[in-house]
Amino acid sequence: MTIRSFELLQPRSLEEAVTFFQKHGDDARALGGGTTLVILMKQRALHYPFLVDLQTIPGLKEIKTESDGVRIGALVTHRMVETSSLIRASFPALAQAFSQIGNVRVRETASVGGNLAHADYRLDPPPPLLVLGAVVTAFGPKGSRTVALKDFFRGMYETALEPGEILVDVKIPFMPANSRSVYLRYSTLSANDWPCLGVAALMTQSSGRCRALEIALGGVAATPVRIDGLEFAMDQVLDEPVIEKLLDRVDEQISPSSDLRGSDWYKRRMAKLFVKKALDQLNSGVG
Amino acid sequence: MKREITLKVNRLDQTLTVDDADTLLEVLRDRLKLWSVRESCGVGACGSCTVLMDGRPVSSCFLLAVRAVGYELTTLEGIGDGQRLHFIQEAFVEQRALQCAYCTPGFVLSVKALLEENPDASDEAIREYLAGNLCRCAGYADILNAVRAAQEKSKAVMI
Repeated sequence: MTIRSFELLQPRSLEEAVTFFQKHGDDARALGGGTTLVILMKQRALHYPFLVDLQTIPGLKEIKTESDGVRIGALVTHRMVETSSLIRASFPALAQAFSQIGNVRVRETASVGGNLAHADYRLDPPPPLLVLGAVVTAFGPKGSRTVALKDFFRGMYETALEPGEILVDVKIPFMPANSRSVYLRYSTLSANDWPCLGVAALMTQSSGRCRALEIALGGVAATPVRIDGLEFAMDQVLDEPVIEKLLDRVDEQISPSSDLRGSDWYKRRMAKLFVKKALDQLNSGVG
Repeated sequence: MKREITLKVNRLDQTLTVDDADTLLEVLRDRLKLWSVRESCGVGACGSCTVLMDGRPVSSCFLLAVRAVGYELTTLEGIGDGQRLHFIQEAFVEQRALQCAYCTPGFVLSVKALLEENPDASDEAIREYLAGNLCRCAGYADILNAVRAAQEKSKAVMI
């Protein structure tokens, strides 16, 4: 099937890209790697008369170290994250999540910014980025602003990006000392498929007690979910009763829908099982 | 929109007029008659339309041709010297790692990219890297043997 004709606009700067969005409004869409947008246009599920090519804007395809974290440009490919020695050393759970997406050709093409802006509830990167406390930079008609990733996903395929705004990069703060992180992906169909669900967790521990804990899941609600209300576990040993209570928090905050990757009932069971697995791994020093 | 572009394909500059909506697959196959580039799934899942962009494997079925400007594109026709088979192709023939051969160009190019990135790839790394290339005749065991044979040949070539 061929793609319906459209015009590819190739801006040389973020400012120029914004003028295209101001001129064409909803008729224009930002194009990152194209793994989702071009395929959906090819399948004629979507059509935009104008695509704004972000690949022609310099500076968006870099992974940069800063004093307090790492900044990943919107056009950085999944493969660049997967193979970056900096990311593998600083955020192993993130490298792990990116290494398991689709296949190597998809990862060579798909962009980090496109993945987040697409806001599909099943994607792998959001849960680890949520537990890491990532912050997104957006550039639009009013200039630059930042949005914490936990406030970024607003609904199925909906984000906090305003009309005319472009996702520029995602900043990930370095993990606190004595922290470990893990990402577990559970596929019910082929390994190349979207996951049934994904679970990320980050825990800071000292003297055998939990000092900070973040849990996030993908695939079990309309958006990726960061679990709230975990403060009760602070300064506790993560024993069975505490873990049971954590799993209750997870169960309360997810709302899976039944699909070919599993029923609502099944996904709830698996979500608890995989969160438990993740916590067990963090407790036992793996990750 | 129509525009004139120059693509560097198999070391040659090809100037042609394309539509912004044309995929690289359509241009390589229908316009440049490079028949090794094949459509199958059309959504980047099967690997039949694999080409190399600056040595990296991509699915040409969902890549816009106008976005391939400035890269070195390689199809199966562009490996080897045009007279003899490339050593990876030889390995596939010798190990009988093909049956209908529809998927073979995609496999050979993926193996080329893999061996350039990781010459000593373990069986697990080979399986992982090639997981996105599908063979419906299911000759995967022979294909794995061919990759191992190609690894041996690549060392001989380098010496």
